[in-house]
Amino acid sequence: MFRALYTAASGMNAQQMNLDNIANNLANSSTAGFRRRRLQFQDLMYQNLITPGAAATQQTTLPAGLQIGLGTRAAATEVVQAQGDFSSTGNPLDLAIRGQGFFQVTTPNGEIAYTRSGTFHLDSQGSMVTADGDALQPSISIPANALSVSIGTDGTVSVTQQGQQQSQIVGTIQLALFPNPGGLNSIGGNLFLATSASGDPTVGTPGSAEGLGTIQQGMLEGSNVSVVEEFVNMILAQRAYEANSRVIRAADEMMQQLNGLAT
Amino acid sequence: MDSGYYAAFSGLLARTQALDVVANNLANVNTTGYKSQHEFYDALTASQDNASLSPINQAANRFGVLGGNFVDVHAGPFEPTGNSLDLSIQNAGFFAVQTKSGVRYTRNGSFQLNGARQLITKEGDPVLGIGGPAMATDAPITVPPGELSVSADGTLSVAGALAGQLRIVEFIQGEQLAPEGNSYFLAPAGSVHPSLNPEVKQGSLEGSNMNPVAGTVALIAIQRSAQMMERALSIFNNDFNRTAAEQVARD
Repeated sequence: MFRALYTAASGMNAQQMNLDNIANNLANSSTAGFRRRRLQFQDLMYQNLITPGAAATQQTTLPAGLQIGLGTRAAATEVVQAQGDFSSTGNPLDLAIRGQGFFQVTTPNGEIAYTRSGTFHLDSQGSMVTADGDALQPSISIPANALSVSIGTDGTVSVTQQGQQQSQIVGTIQLALFPNPGGLNSIGGNLFLATSASGDPTVGTPGSAEGLGTIQQGMLEGSNVSVVEEFVNMILAQRAYEANSRVIRAADEMMQQLNGLAT
Repeated sequence: MDSGYYAAFSGLLARTQALDVVANNLANVNTTGYKSQHEFYDALTASQDNASLSPINQAANRFGVLGGNFVDVHAGPFEPTGNSLDLSIQNAGFFAVQTKSGVRYTRNGSFQLNGARQLITKEGDPVLGIGGPAMATDAPITVPPGELSVSADGTLSVAGALAGQLRIVEFIQGEQLAPEGNSYFLAPAGSVHPSLNPEVKQGSLEGSNMNPVAGTVALIAIQRSAQMMERALSIFNNDFNRTAAEQVARD
């Protein structure tokens, strides 16, 4: 009976963590380029009271054992890579990726980070940077006297300068594709870092490899959080929490009655 | 003392163990690939078959104890995730995984790649692919870079090139799987055979097959029958024995 108490407590802990994750997803339902996370649970070890397949007699074995599981634990948060909604913004430096690729940016400590959020700006030197000021990698500078910037689906950035008929190519945006984007390490600010779970990225110009995706200028990818789905998950988490607390109450009542017997 | 006292006691003990089983099921309502467990009760002695016992003796010795539990293998709900390394089996099969302690089977298809680009589970154990005609030569699957697609029969291909085929197995009907935690199951030797027509779906995961309603109902049933056993114990203890010890001795 004490097992039931701890087992139910592990279930309540897990649901609490589930709710934390749902809260983070919901809080980011309007964050451009945000990818929702899914909490995964695994069952804990089992206590074998009767091992299945144990010998019943010399000739026969028991058809089923008596194994009592000891609860659950949160095993992983997986980044769900479904595409978010696209919205048209008209801003020439808003870019959306149609596909599974990521933009590469350099963080202040020199690391390469990956993002789906394509809201770029220009810094004082005219380089394309994210809203946090992290430079796009490879870096692309837009000349100060540029009249218009156009970015092709293959990532080619070209500008039209004053007094010039022809547009000039100033750089090409490259995208990175991961074998397992679900294993990326989220560091906040819409950024991800590569891990051994995500694997090493394949870097290429948009459209050059299958799955890398193409770039859409003037569009932004919204969060892929579905508010309805999160609410449903929240209700499920709440009810599962209740069910586990019911087990604790049941175990408690059974023990209470037992104690009552001894009077 | 009364035989019924022990019958009620063993019944109560069985209910507390059953409560542990239900608690584990309810704790795992959100566990990917979890298979719920159901307990069953047994009579302690096969007194019905023992012709030498009188009917009253047979009845008095039929104590209910927890006989064991079995794994309910029916499928849980499938949830789309959109991740290319999330796989689920839509029919009866299981994935085979090479763990440190031997081959284990799982319905949790939430896989990832390790540094050597091998397909592994969340525990880091390689998922087995078909290596040859005999199941003894199964080997981990290495996935080359690129967009992975998995077909219904478990064939993995990257950009049109074959990368391997998942080993999907089924078990002889009625064989009992032993859960080992981390969504792994151990199957009795000789009960495993390759699945003939597996139906693998990429980009979705199988949820727990535990139904919280069934769990709550089971919980109530256990609680009430435990109450009955406790009531019976209290009758034996207070009404019969105390009366015998205090009242009869005084008269």
